[in-house]
Amino acid sequence: CHTSRMPTPKGKEPAQNLPREELTHLILKLLQAWKEPLSHFNQHIEHHQELSDDSLSKAKQISNMVHELKMGVEKSMGIISNSLNGMASSEAAGLSISNEANLMSDSDFIHCFRRDSNKVQSYLKILKCRIMPENSC
Amino acid sequence: GQSFPAKPEITRCRSLEKDTFSCWWKPGTDGGLPTNYTLFYSKASEEKIYECPDYRTSGPNSCYFDKKHTKQRTTYNITVMATNEFGSSSSDPQYVDVTCLVRPDSPGDLSLETETSAGVTGLWAKWSPPGLADDSSNWHVYHYELRFKPEEEEKWETVSVGVQTQYKVMKLNAGLKYGVQVRCMLDCGEWSEWSPERQIQIPSGQSPPEKPTILKCRSPEKETFTCWWKPGSDGGHPTNYTLFYSKEGEEQIYECPDYRTAGPNSCYFDKKHTSFWTIYNITVKATNKMGSNSSEPHYVDVTYIVQPDPPVNVTLELKKPINRKPYLVLTWFPPPLADVRSGWLTLEYELRLKPEEGDEWETIFVGQQTQYKMFSLNPGKKYIVQIHCKPDHHGSWSEWSSEKYIQIPSDYRVKDMIVWIIVGVLSSLICLIMSWTMVLKGYRMIAFILPPVPGPKIKGIDTHLLETGKSEELLSALGCHGFPPTSDCEELLIEYLEVEDSEDQQLQQSRNNGHPSKNTQVTSKETDGDSGRGSCDSPSLLSEKCREPRGLPSKLPSQDVREVPENDAGEKGWETQRVASSEDKALPFSTAGTKSSTWPAANIHPSTFAYHSTVDAHKVTLSTTNVNVAPVLVGNEEKYQSRYSTSETLCEENLEKQREMENMHSRNDQSTIQVNQSRLNEKSSFFNAKLMDYVEVHKVRQDEDPAVLLKHKENSGKIEKYTIPGTSKEYTKVSTVVDHNILVLMPDSRVPVSQEPAKEMPQNLQQGQVEKNMSYCLPAPSECQREAGGSEYMDPSSFMPSFK
Repeated sequence: CHTSRMPTPKGKEPAQNLPREELTHLILKLLQAWKEPLSHFNQHIEHHQELSDDSLSKAKQISNMVHELKMGVEKSMGIISNSLNGMASSEAAGLSISNEANLMSDSDFIHCFRRDSNKVQSYLKILKCRIMPENSC
Repeated sequence: GQSFPAKPEITRCRSLEKDTFSCWWKPGTDGGLPTNYTLFYSKASEEKIYECPDYRTSGPNSCYFDKKHTKQRTTYNITVMATNEFGSSSSDPQYVDVTCLVRPDSPGDLSLETETSAGVTGLWAKWSPPGLADDSSNWHVYHYELRFKPEEEEKWETVSVGVQTQYKVMKLNAGLKYGVQVRCMLDCGEWSEWSPERQIQIPSGQSPPEKPTILKCRSPEKETFTCWWKPGSDGGHPTNYTLFYSKEGEEQIYECPDYRTAGPNSCYFDKKHTSFWTIYNITVKATNKMGSNSSEPHYVDVTYIVQPDPPVNVTLELKKPINRKPYLVLTWFPPPLADVRSGWLTLEYELRLKPEEGDEWETIFVGQQTQYKMFSLNPGKKYIVQIHCKPDHHGSWSEWSSEKYIQIPSDYRVKDMIVWIIVGVLSSLICLIMSWTMVLKGYRMIAFILPPVPGPKIKGIDTHLLETGKSEELLSALGCHGFPPTSDCEELLIEYLEVEDSEDQQLQQSRNNGHPSKNTQVTSKETDGDSGRGSCDSPSLLSEKCREPRGLPSKLPSQDVREVPENDAGEKGWETQRVASSEDKALPFSTAGTKSSTWPAANIHPSTFAYHSTVDAHKVTLSTTNVNVAPVLVGNEEKYQSRYSTSETLCEENLEKQREMENMHSRNDQSTIQVNQSRLNEKSSFFNAKLMDYVEVHKVRQDEDPAVLLKHKENSGKIEKYTIPGTSKEYTKVSTVVDHNILVLMPDSRVPVSQEPAKEMPQNLQQGQVEKNMSYCLPAPSECQREAGGSEYMDPSSFMPSFK
């Protein structure tokens, strides 16, 4: 996976030990890293005739969701942590990584995406329960 | 000395080749002289003696029997003779079975095979019989023998095999090399030579272990995980298992950190050794003395193998809110290991429910909440409930929690029961009361509830009269005797036609017969009991009261004419009659209060008047008879009855008309009419005085103008104008005068019109009848009822408008 090189905590404790901002940055970096590859992937599979329209629309939907998620995280975390610098760096890092993504095969792509989305979800949940513990945590 | 040779001796015979054999002998002493030896043989079944065919082949002192001379299954009798110059001597005969001479070849194709079953290794030895394979004459049954020994040993172990060509040797020591031989023998021959030795290595029974298989890996709380494997066969030696793994992206191979915690054949990875979002490559190696074997690699990413423990602390709480049905709240806790608080692991729950005796579970997805409210449980029933959970993404469901039993108390059922009991008691009480009432006043109640259908009753109709067709008599019999005042009319009940016997007695009787009960109030008067004259609808109602006054035909002559009509009028509860009975009183039809709306006043008149002119005479008679005789209703009397009211004149006329109509319609009337007529005539004198008396008839219908107002008048010829209710007809026209004392009036179809064309009448007649019914019925009944008093019979029809 193109994001394998990113240093991400690989367990609960490592993730909990990370300070909030770092975790947020990590999340944003991940999301950013997938922005390009996703759109590229969508363009790529549109030519696949075996895929049904449902799959195509689903893929598009996922791309949108990732984008929205990124925006949402930026907004909410932006309020908490005003580190624009961090944002900029994450953008740059994401761009470089995404070039690798174009070389992956479709199945690898999906596999990597699945994993990374799970990562993001877990990190976000940890963040959420850290910030707002009363909300079903 | 020289002597003859000694006896030679046959030493042996042998079959060296197939189908040949040779015999050898041993010469005896030759007696000093050269001796010749000859062999003679004979076959068992033959006498012929043969000489040896070949003395040379097998050597000296031998005889060789070649194939030509060898016959199987034959016993040869062989003797050898030694001959010299002095004499000869023969050996003892030798019986030789050729078969038995044969020394078989050793069995061939000896093959050895080891077979291990149930840990025991056996040796299979297989061979084939001696001889050529293509030998068809394989009738030889050979016996076989086998011997074996380990390589290093000297001693053979021999086993008799029997006739089989294979044998399994069991008592072999694993790991040694064995040599095996077989030989065969015919039942009467010699053993063959031992076959060449075959050797075989017995396997030791131990081998490297089989490949183990990795069953599954699971993480209960997304922080640690465990893998389990299944061992293969151990190859006879104790086997060791080791697990090796490597992580994605790393070259290094690690060994399982913990073989114990999770039990046998398992490996437990604790927190330190668990990494997420990384693929593990796991293999298990089995090792024993003989070797080792590794399982297939198993790839696993811990993120996707989470299977939590079941939820714990499942509790039930019964909540009883006010004014609502009690419900059950089920609460539980996530499994203790799962760290839900930090958000690392999010669990979703699902519960399943079924009645204790039921078969099918009802599964309800609850989501992430840890409580559930159950509203739809039946009180009193026992339920079983279970919960399980799974991670919200990429995981599998946990086991179901232990069964929890639910039973909702059914206390309020008792209240329901009480209510039902009370209801039951009350209803049974009511039933009792009702049945009691029914018993006591059954008939009346029944009548009250189910009014009898009034049927036409014709009292005192003399069919003969009718048949004879004397209209006059009929008419008179019918009742309008003379031209009586309203009372008569009332009697007659314009609405219905009462046809009575001309004879008072008849009337009386008939009346009495009809409804004696109803005539209770009739003193000396005969009332037309229930001649079917009920008011428009209920003859009875009107009849009772109405009859009373009316049923006095006998008294007519002696009575005030008024009375009669009074009574008659009253019979049907007619106020008019009542009024009529009250002398000189205008018939307070209206005042009666009740009006039979069913009495179409107008109808009466027109109907009655609508008779043909020819009927006039009848009318007259009718009217006269009316006075005398209680009108006998014929046919639609009821209708007419109800029409009573309106006006006296109407009465009269109506009666007349009715009667006429009746007469017209049924012959039965005629008889009565005639009868009445006769009476009429009698009383005409009386009527004369009265005929001119008209009772004022008030409107029958409340909302109508007084239908007919007939006043009592002394003037015989005077006729008042009057309006007929409803139709507001005036009987101002005199159609005829009959019998000098009967004035037949004709109704006018229009209100103040004094003269009406007669032709209108027929039309009106029809209507009139209807109207009569309509207008007259109402008042009458009530009146009648009141006065009827003790009459038991109430005709509900009187209440209702009677429409033809």
